[in-house]
Amino acid sequence: MNVENIAYACLTRFVENGEGSREALHWVDTDLSEQIYSFEYFDRESSRVAAILKQLGIVPGDTVSIFIPRSPILISAFFGVQKAMGISCILFGTLGEEGLLDRLSNSNAKIVITRKSLLRKITAIKDKLPALQQILTIDHDDHQSDSVLSLRKLMTETDPIFDYPRWVDAETPAFLQYTSGSTGKPKGALHVHGALGDMRQSFRDIMQLEADDLYWCTADPAWITGIVYGILAPFGTGARQVQYSGTYNADNWLKTLETLKVNIWYTAPTALRMLMQEDENKFTQHDFSSLKRMYSVGEPLNPEIYHWGRKVFKVEIYDTWWQSETGSMMIGNHPPMTVKPGSMGKPRAGVEAFICNDDMQLQPDGKQGLLCLRKGWGSMFRTYFHNEAAYSDKFKNSIYITGDLAYRDEEGYFWYVSRADDVINTAGHLVGPFEVESALLEIEEIVDVAVIGADDPLLHKRIIAFVKLRNDQTWSKELELKCRIYVSNKVSTTAIPAEFHVIDSVPKNQSGKILRRVLKAIYEGKDPGDTSTME
Amino acid sequence: MSIEERLTKVFTTVFDNMSIEISPELTADDVDEWDSLSHINLMIAIELEFGIEFDQSEIQNFANVGELMASIEDKLAKKDR
Repeated sequence: MNVENIAYACLTRFVENGEGSREALHWVDTDLSEQIYSFEYFDRESSRVAAILKQLGIVPGDTVSIFIPRSPILISAFFGVQKAMGISCILFGTLGEEGLLDRLSNSNAKIVITRKSLLRKITAIKDKLPALQQILTIDHDDHQSDSVLSLRKLMTETDPIFDYPRWVDAETPAFLQYTSGSTGKPKGALHVHGALGDMRQSFRDIMQLEADDLYWCTADPAWITGIVYGILAPFGTGARQVQYSGTYNADNWLKTLETLKVNIWYTAPTALRMLMQEDENKFTQHDFSSLKRMYSVGEPLNPEIYHWGRKVFKVEIYDTWWQSETGSMMIGNHPPMTVKPGSMGKPRAGVEAFICNDDMQLQPDGKQGLLCLRKGWGSMFRTYFHNEAAYSDKFKNSIYITGDLAYRDEEGYFWYVSRADDVINTAGHLVGPFEVESALLEIEEIVDVAVIGADDPLLHKRIIAFVKLRNDQTWSKELELKCRIYVSNKVSTTAIPAEFHVIDSVPKNQSGKILRRVLKAIYEGKDPGDTSTME
Repeated sequence: MSIEERLTKVFTTVFDNMSIEISPELTADDVDEWDSLSHINLMIAIELEFGIEFDQSEIQNFANVGELMASIEDKLAKKDR
């Protein structure tokens, strides 16, 4: 089956329909200066990027990694890759050396688009990336070498015309989204051009924007929410949207909501919890009367935050649930549903969600179990890139096992309980304990380590590291700092443990598997239960 | 070493980036790796480097490096008294 190329559906289509000058993006910089970009602008700039990529040898199916912070050029680059029929992979600028190497290596990235300040991270690992052919920087005026070229210069020399296939096979790979698992390296969930239909439909069904509504998704485009509901769905439906260039900033966020008269706001519980810590006067200084609804994603929206948000912003807050693998919202709350505070909501039209036990038997309402989805929705990931075994592990026949524990109530609402595995959801980022443990084990003072997640009032879960030191070492503030900095620069800032505890030995079973439940119980002051299999 | 030089050393260590040049106007938005989580690393590193302590409200309220330096100078002056 053929579908519109993502770039055609989101950009060129508007230009061909005479709507190219329509506002596609209202950009707000950290100094609150504003810039408006049209569909035509992105269509033009992405054509330049596509032409450059083709000139540099990118052919359909090649991966181009985009390693720059959120910006209009990131959007142009993303669509440029789509026009060149490549596979885009947007990465967080906060990734450490190992985290970056894992992703660039697994994705076989041939070109990385980056900026001066991040270039050193790539050059440090370039020798370990045989597939990498070119690095393009967005902020050098001139080419730096044969392999480090100025994208800015190339774009000024390139015509904004690029002929590309408007229609492509629905299964054509479009982008990779990396996510962490309980074990092993990060996995790249592969999404296809055919996924856009579900992304747009879910956006219409749940966000329900009216003509002229202004929409704001605060998620970074390196996060699945940022790419799907910050770029693809709003562009693909012709929505008016605002994006703020910086990270969380309470004053700038509140001013943006007020002055731009944002109507629909999609954000995350951690952001709301951070806002909740601000002085109450900050909120009374602003007029949020343009706001119609808020939506939340990334972690459970606990009732405390829900009630606070309703009180402060005076609108309903709708929680949504989905994953990097699902490609679009699967379960959610939306008008005219009655919100049950703390609930994930109900499956959207066309999505079959249910609860199973470990033997994949359907569980009755009220009984906790594995949250599962019936395979086959359009935006489902097609594989984990170069890791088919891990992909297969996520399915049992026609059932996708999400890795979350939940239950369904008698009215059909789903309620999140916890992760079913060891993955730690911290501030909406999934962190695999293995990644953190591997980094900490490289520190000479540490001989063994185990990492768990613990409840946190701000981050949902915080990372706790239990370390066994070499006999001649003692714990100190300096060693803690060394560990924190090492994890930050090796893996990612999101992987930094919030707490370190020194232990005499890491509890393991007889086959050497870390018994995290024992550590969790010890940490929470609970009975660790059966420890008969302990080493 | 001046406070600025010592602070530059802290920044380059924490963010593993020798090219960071600090200035009073520098903010977290100017440094790719500087987010709310690595900010805690930065604060711990500064406390250890200068032998001072920040309270929780201070840690979250520095708008830029200029305010951070002013706070360090203020704490060092109080320590010397």
